[in-house]
Amino acid sequence: MNPTSPDQFVSAFHRGAEDASAALSKWLGRPATLWVERLDALPIAEAVAVLGSGEEPICGSAMRIDGVVRGLLLLATADAAGLALADTLLERAVGTSVAWGDLERSAVVETANIVGCAYLNAICATLEPGGSEGILPSPPLFLRDFPASVMEAVLLEQPSPAETVLLARTEFRIDGTPVACGLVFLPDATGLTTPPHPAPETRGRQ
Amino acid sequence: MSDRTPPRPALLEGENVEIGQIGVAVGSGALKTFVGSCVGLVLHAQAQRAAALAHVMLPASNGRGTPPGKYADTAVPEAIRLLCEAVGEPGLACTAKLVGGAAMFAFRSGMPIGEQNVEALERILADLGIPITGRACGGGHGRRLAVDVVSGVVTIQTAGHGTEFLT
Repeated sequence: MNPTSPDQFVSAFHRGAEDASAALSKWLGRPATLWVERLDALPIAEAVAVLGSGEEPICGSAMRIDGVVRGLLLLATADAAGLALADTLLERAVGTSVAWGDLERSAVVETANIVGCAYLNAICATLEPGGSEGILPSPPLFLRDFPASVMEAVLLEQPSPAETVLLARTEFRIDGTPVACGLVFLPDATGLTTPPHPAPETRGRQ
Repeated sequence: MSDRTPPRPALLEGENVEIGQIGVAVGSGALKTFVGSCVGLVLHAQAQRAAALAHVMLPASNGRGTPPGKYADTAVPEAIRLLCEAVGEPGLACTAKLVGGAAMFAFRSGMPIGEQNVEALERILADLGIPITGRACGGGHGRRLAVDVVSGVVTIQTAGHGTEFLT
């Protein structure tokens, strides 16, 4: 898959965020928006820190993606935001969940599955209109760990870890309120040909 | 089942060693880093009260070798060289500790990269006759580690798997 220009590349990720917004809104039963906060090429040392470098664990869900687009997709959230998301999906008052039980984990994993697939399917459709092959996501895994450890493991999931990696970071807003939740996609170095120059930082909601 | 854990004790403050880098300190302080699949290689020279911490990412440089801390085969000799340089001696006796090498995802077939990192470091250290006096490797979780430069004690914290000390 070879986007012909950085603009086409950026446009594909914005389209992904639009479709993911629609999927998340339907899943939650309330207005939700995702937007591409950043899309850039980072040295490994900086990429490790994109989720933060503190000792507070993050939680989330990771999926290996194969098919037209290959890479690793990670839904990452702070504990409180993740538990609030679970409460919303389980139709409970926010604040009811105080720990990561099976139901709360399932809620996060399913969210990653639904939102992530909508996001990547739209990217595929934009970069390769009419393409017959879609994406093949692995079953999503739940995780809760230090942010730097999670990102390091994500980077080492690449078949051939590079010195610089392309990262797309997408933020969430639910009911108009920003939530501490993000979607990170790390394409394999061979899974998505990047533009000749680092893609410009992108801001602005879709 | 819950992952919620009691508040963790404060960890030693000190210089943070980024992925692929090597930190060295003499006489006081601590060196620290977070690892997942990577391995924190700690070399400690008791007599000189000095320590090196390499944040090793991959098992073999295959001729690349830059930065040397990134690969097991280049990180070990470079950490020894930096340690010797820091204490101003041509050689020294040291011990090693290994932390990390987790398999946090199970998406790839074959030996996990973390396990490959640990194996490579063990082989290289054995070839150089450097004894490994402590290990906290494998599993499916990340670790935050800090080595006390004077004592060589390594404190390891996890998110939900407790705290461990390698003395």
